[in-house]
Amino acid sequence: MNKRFLQRKLAVASLAATSFFLAAHASAWTLKEAAAPYSGTTLHAIFLDRPGYAAAEKLIPQFEKETGIKIKWDVIPYESTRQKEVLNFVSGGAQDIVLVDVVWIGEFASNKWLVPITKFTGDPKLADPNLNLKGFFPILLDSFGTWNKVTYGLPFDNYSGLMFYNKCMLKDAGFSEPPKTWDDLLNVYAPKLTNTAKNQYAFALQSRRGETQSADSFMRMLWPNGGSLLDAKFKSNLMSPQSQAGLEYRQKLMKYMPPGIVDFDHAEAVNALAQGQVAMITEWSAFYPTLTDPSKSKLGECLGIAAEPRGPAGLKPALGGFSLAVNAKSSAKKQAAAWLFIQWITSEQMAKPYLEAGGVPARTAVYQDPAVQAKYPFVKPMVESWQGGVPDYRPRFPEWPAISEIIGEWGTKMMLGQVSVKDGAQTIGSKMEAILQKAGYYDGKKPLLK
Amino acid sequence: MLNSTVSRAGKAKAGAYAARTRAGLRFLPRSPAFWFLFPAVFALAVIGIYPLLVALYNSVHQYRLADLAAGTPFVGLDNYIATLTDPTFWQALGRTVLFLCLTLPIEIVLGLFAALMLHRPGLAWMRAAARVGLVVPMATTYAVVGLIGRLIFNRQFGVANYLLGFFGVRPLDWLGDPTLAFVSVMIMDVWQWTPFCALILLAGLTMVPKEAEEAARLETRKRLTILWHIERPYLLPGLTAILILRSADMLKMFDAVYTMTRGGPGAATEFISVYIQRIGFRLFDQGLASAQAILLLLLTIVLSRLYIRYIYQEIA
Repeated sequence: MNKRFLQRKLAVASLAATSFFLAAHASAWTLKEAAAPYSGTTLHAIFLDRPGYAAAEKLIPQFEKETGIKIKWDVIPYESTRQKEVLNFVSGGAQDIVLVDVVWIGEFASNKWLVPITKFTGDPKLADPNLNLKGFFPILLDSFGTWNKVTYGLPFDNYSGLMFYNKCMLKDAGFSEPPKTWDDLLNVYAPKLTNTAKNQYAFALQSRRGETQSADSFMRMLWPNGGSLLDAKFKSNLMSPQSQAGLEYRQKLMKYMPPGIVDFDHAEAVNALAQGQVAMITEWSAFYPTLTDPSKSKLGECLGIAAEPRGPAGLKPALGGFSLAVNAKSSAKKQAAAWLFIQWITSEQMAKPYLEAGGVPARTAVYQDPAVQAKYPFVKPMVESWQGGVPDYRPRFPEWPAISEIIGEWGTKMMLGQVSVKDGAQTIGSKMEAILQKAGYYDGKKPLLK
Repeated sequence: MLNSTVSRAGKAKAGAYAARTRAGLRFLPRSPAFWFLFPAVFALAVIGIYPLLVALYNSVHQYRLADLAAGTPFVGLDNYIATLTDPTFWQALGRTVLFLCLTLPIEIVLGLFAALMLHRPGLAWMRAAARVGLVVPMATTYAVVGLIGRLIFNRQFGVANYLLGFFGVRPLDWLGDPTLAFVSVMIMDVWQWTPFCALILLAGLTMVPKEAEEAARLETRKRLTILWHIERPYLLPGLTAILILRSADMLKMFDAVYTMTRGGPGAATEFISVYIQRIGFRLFDQGLASAQAILLLLLTIVLSRLYIRYIYQEIA
C-alpha cells in the first residue's frame, strides 16, 4: 500500500516536473536565444518588386538586430525568378530562403530542393511554441506551401483576385454597386461604361503573354463558368461546354476592353484603372497599396473593392501567392537560420506589423480585428475569396511552367482572333496532353497530383 | 679571387636554371608566337570552345534541369529530329529570317547615307561630334533598348503616338497588334544598329585614295557613279563584316525583344533565340535547346561563308 502510494506520488511528481519543465521551456523560448548559435550568419533571399517584399524589407532590420543573422536579398522580375532559382538549385548558387510561387511547389518539392518543415518544427530549439500552423488560412498553407501532404513553406506573400473599380465612373453610369456576376458585367455594366470616342472602357483584363496570360486571363475565365483545364484523369477539359463558354465569354468582353489588351501586364491594367481609363479590373489584392498611393493613382475616394464577380459555378476567384521555404542545399547552419527568419516573418505576432508595412499576411487572427477590417477595405472580400477559392486554381505540378508557356502563346493568339476559340483550345489541349503523357501521368508512372 | 668566386657562383646558378628549365619546362615551346597567341586562344577556349563542346554533348543527351532525377541518358539524334520536325521552331526561324531580310537592308542603306554625309569635306568639328553621337545607341544595353521601346510605343503615353498625333493619326496599338509589334522591334533595332553600319562604312570611305576620288569628280557630277565605280570596292569588306556580324546578332537577338514584347503578342515577335531561351530556361530542356542552338550556329556559319564568297572582295 505504502509502496503503491509512493509510486503514485512519484508518478504525479514526475508528471508535474515534466509539465513544469515543458512549460518553463515553452515560455523560455525566445528568438534571441534560438538564434544565438547562428549569429553572424548571412542568408540570401530572392525578392520581387512588389509591396509584400518592400514590407518585409522594412521589418528585416528588426530581425537582424534581435538575432545577429544578416539577410541579403536580390530583387528580380517575377518572370525571371523561377529561372534564377532553378539555376541556383542546380549549380549551387547562394539562396537560403527560397521564394516558392504556388505553381512551383510541385517542381521544387519533387526535386527535393526544399526542406520539409517538420525538420524544424520537431526541433524544440528552433520551433517557436507559438508557431500555430492552424492559424494560417488552410487554403494558403495547403496551396502555397504543401505538396503531397508534406509542408515545405509558410505562406508569405498572399493574393486573392479581387475586383477593383472606380465608384465615381460607376455612379455616373447609374450604378450604385459593382456587378455581382460576370454576366451582369458583360451585359449590363460594360455597354454603359464604354465610350471609345473618349478612350474609356469598362474593363481591363491583363493578358500579356506569359504567366499573366495563363493565370490572370485564361484560367480566370474557366473556373467561374464551371470549366477547368484538366479533368479528373488529367486529360484536357478545355473542350467541355463550360470551359468553352468561359473562353467565348472572354472574347465577347474584349469589345469593352482597351485596344492592345494582349500587351497589358499587371502594371498596365492597374494603371488604366488608376488613371481613369477603365472602370473595373480584376487584379491581385496586393495592388491595393498602389491604387491608394496618390502619387500613382488618381482614384482617391473613388476606389471601390469587392470580391470578383460570380459565374454560374459561384465565386471562383484567382488564387496566387508565395511561400518561403528553406533550401535543402544550404548548410545545416544556414538552414536553421533561414527557418528562424521564415517562422518569424510569417508569425502571428508579426502579422500586424507586416500588414501595416504594406504586406498581406496569411494569418486568420489579424483579420478578425475590427480595426483592421475598417482600415483595410480589401480585407473583407479577400477573406471571403480565400474561404471560397479553388486550391488548384492553376495545377501546381512540375509540368505547369511548360503548359503555361503554351497557354501564353495560344491564349493570346485566341484573343487576337488569329485562331478560333475552339481551335485554340484544341491545340492547347493536345500540346498539354503530350507534355503530361511524356511526364508519365497516363501510364501510372506518376501519381495524379496537382 | 672574389671576382672569380662570384662568376663561378653565377655560372653555377645559370647552369642550374638551364638544367631546371630543360628538365621541368621542356614541354613548353620557345617560339614567341606561341606566347603571343596563347592568351587569346586560352580565353577563346574558356569562353567559346568549352561551352560549345558542352552544348554539343548536351544536344545528344536528355538533359532536363528541372528533372535531373530522370537521368541524362544518351539519346543520339533525337533532339535534332525533334527540333527539325517542330513546326514552332520553323515558324520562329522564318520570322527571324524575315526580320533579317527587312531590317538589315534598311540599316545598311541608312548607314551608307549617314557615312556619305559624314565623308563630305568641311565642318570637321560637327562631323567629329556626329561620330561620337553615333556610338551612343550602340553603347546602350539591349535590355534597356527594349524597355525604352516599351515606353516609346506605349499606346496611351508613348512618344510615338504623341508625335503621330501632330499629323492627325489616331493612337496606334504598337505593342498590342502583331504586325505593329514586329515593326516596333524593327524600328528599335534600326535605331540601335544603323550607327554601327555608318561607322564601318565610313571607315571604308576614308580608305578611298583622294586622287582617285578627285579625278572621278572631274569626270562626272553623278554621285552614284562615283559611289559605284570608285568607292564600292572599298566599301565591300566593311559591308561583308556588317552582314556577318549583324546576321549573327539578329539570329541571336534576345534581350531587347524579351523586355519589349516577350515574344508576343501571340507569337508575332517570337524570334528563334526567344524560342530557344523558352525551351532552355523556361522548360529547362537543355538537351533540346542545345540541339537548336547548334543548328542555329550551323546556319550562321553557312550564311557567313555565303557572304564572304559572294560579296567580299580584296582591294587590289
